[in-house]
Amino acid sequence: MLINRRTALKQVLVVSAGLAFLPSCVRKTTPASISLKNIAVDGEGENMLALLADTLIPTTSTPGAKDVKAHLFALTMVDDCFNKEDQQKWAAGMKAFAELSEKKNGKSFEKSTPEARIALLEQLEKSKAEEGGAAYFYHATKHLIIRGYTNSEFYLTKVQVYELVPGRFHGSVPVKPVSRRTA
Amino acid sequence: MANINTSAQDRTFDAIVIGSGISGGWAAKEFTEKGLKTLVLERGRDVKHLKDYPTTNKYPWEFPHGGQIPEAIKEEAPVVSRCYAFKEDAMHFFVKDKEHPYEQDKPFDWIRGYQVGGKSLLWARQTQRWSDYDFEGPARDGFAVDWPIRYADIAPWYSYVEKFVGISGNKDGIDNLPDGEFLPPIELTAVEQYFQKFVKDNYKDRHVIYGRCAHLTEPQKIHIEQGRVQCQKRNLCQRGCPFGGYFSSNSSTLPWAEKTGNLTLRPHSVVHSVIYDEKKGKATGVRVVDAKTKEMTEYYARVIFVNASAINSNLILLNSTSSRFPNGLGNDSGVLGKYFAFHNYRATIYADHDGHMDVTTDGRRPTSAYIPRFRNVKKQETDFLRGYAAGFDTGRRKWNSQDGVGKSLKDNLFNEEMGNWYVGSHMMGETIPKEISQLTLDKDKKDEWGMPVIHVNMGYDDNDEKMIKDFHEQMTEMYTKAGFTNIRTGDSKQAPGLDIHEMGGARMGKDPKTSVLNKWNQLHDVNNVFVTDGACMTSTSTQNPSLTYMALTARAVDYAVSQMKKGEI
Repeated sequence: MLINRRTALKQVLVVSAGLAFLPSCVRKTTPASISLKNIAVDGEGENMLALLADTLIPTTSTPGAKDVKAHLFALTMVDDCFNKEDQQKWAAGMKAFAELSEKKNGKSFEKSTPEARIALLEQLEKSKAEEGGAAYFYHATKHLIIRGYTNSEFYLTKVQVYELVPGRFHGSVPVKPVSRRTA
Repeated sequence: MANINTSAQDRTFDAIVIGSGISGGWAAKEFTEKGLKTLVLERGRDVKHLKDYPTTNKYPWEFPHGGQIPEAIKEEAPVVSRCYAFKEDAMHFFVKDKEHPYEQDKPFDWIRGYQVGGKSLLWARQTQRWSDYDFEGPARDGFAVDWPIRYADIAPWYSYVEKFVGISGNKDGIDNLPDGEFLPPIELTAVEQYFQKFVKDNYKDRHVIYGRCAHLTEPQKIHIEQGRVQCQKRNLCQRGCPFGGYFSSNSSTLPWAEKTGNLTLRPHSVVHSVIYDEKKGKATGVRVVDAKTKEMTEYYARVIFVNASAINSNLILLNSTSSRFPNGLGNDSGVLGKYFAFHNYRATIYADHDGHMDVTTDGRRPTSAYIPRFRNVKKQETDFLRGYAAGFDTGRRKWNSQDGVGKSLKDNLFNEEMGNWYVGSHMMGETIPKEISQLTLDKDKKDEWGMPVIHVNMGYDDNDEKMIKDFHEQMTEMYTKAGFTNIRTGDSKQAPGLDIHEMGGARMGKDPKTSVLNKWNQLHDVNNVFVTDGACMTSTSTQNPSLTYMALTARAVDYAVSQMKKGEI
């Protein structure tokens, strides 16, 4: 009996170890391309953020948010500059965002059509961050992606040129009319 | 012992300067130029001009957090995280709270820069002279003690340092904010010019002027000789300037002192105390704890200048005990560490301006407009003592709409929109030094270097509260009459210290019974020790104090050297 029990226990251990190992083998999770200290976002999550960045600020004849890696800036900011509470809200919101896509489009955000993705974001545009969940995630992430984009080398050299050495200050210059540019 | 091979002779100098910040740098320059072998002791690491400004030429996208301080650093260093200049590009020049603990008996934000150059790398570069309306304040209004000097004593020294530093300013002809040696000003904005004229036309004794600042708008020969060139209006001063466009010890006084061949700069040197020789009745040197090895070494000199920054200069003197001075060096009066004060920076007032919509600004500007003190200047006229100066700044609102998704959002980000003008002002209020506002040493707790932990006990008083109210009222009236709209008053409730203008503790005075220093910044009781940083201040007035520290330092060195030649020191 004693031996049998021991054998049985061993088998249980082997089986549970296998079970614990199994899902990750099946799902083939890859880590995010940047090292994160405080939040758990894997490669799949990163891809979703890249797609969100690309949907928000798409590549046209000029680079979009994904091209300048604004989604990685957003990820870094959440990981390093959000407090614990906001990190938790953001992580929960990211999950809620993925679920919202399934609910609304019947598909994950990644597998949705570009039109369906836009529609989802336009729906969230009408929400307020204070509502929490997907709305919080969307507004916080949009804000960070815009910040990453407008702080990028492309934007600050080609769109709104940042001068490291302006060498001048004029207190009163005429406002020149500018015609609207197309991105 | 690392210093076993260095003889006492190798460790003997003509002068020792404790601290390499804005006043210590001046002491070093003046002593070395006058031919004295000078040892400058700095508790932090070395920061060489140009070489040790790691972020100076970085573009915004090179900062991983867009300039923001990560949460882990904020949590560890809540005090310094409240400082406006503590950002990703300059955080390496600030002391993080944990590294150097102190005790806040009342909330006090102590902002420190422990490196060669100290806070002169980080200062806001505003340089306004004091007048007799400031020096005569305590005597007229019956607080603190009478300053032992008047404007005439310091005026030539203001000129002396201004010429070397390079001060951009206008000759405004205002008797309570004397004119100096000025390089050309930078332009005021259209709205500042409008408000300037409005105030001139409507108030007899109020002025809006260009804020005088330590920037080389038109470098002179003396500045070129320092290796400094014209300010390029980058507004990235806190990183250290590759042009030497603004004044710092690193860009100016220290390399100047080095060129004389008389300077020995020793970084990583925490000064423990000043050594007092009872037989000679003089200080003979200082005890230095090496910041890295924690070993103590003595250095000797004929004259010692204490320029460790206001609080640390008090700490060193309080810690310099002997049987002659059991309560701190030169503290027969018992006032050392007392009558500590600061500037009240709590109040702000913002508004909108819908005029001047046809013009905007172009480029960047390292200063702003300035409103000199207009309250209680010539006589007492309110229910509070003294008054306030104010910074005044305007600009056109510009932004990109963040509305939309996809192509519409991207189009918005490619098109800047321009709104009306913002108008903003912040108060710089004089505070009254009080005996209860004190710096004391902890009896038990010591830091890593064996220095007693210092207690800061200082708060706002009723006079400060009344002044905030008056600032809000007077500025609201001026804004309203000038046609500014959407006026918003603010009170940050920030703790003392965040103004980074802490002053006093070793105040100057005529009477050795009630003050620590005489009119030459010399300890009443030890004639070869001088204190010329913020610790020496008898009262605070409203001006940014660094220019006054520099002038007092140059003046005190001149006096000390003349006394040394006479054999008095």
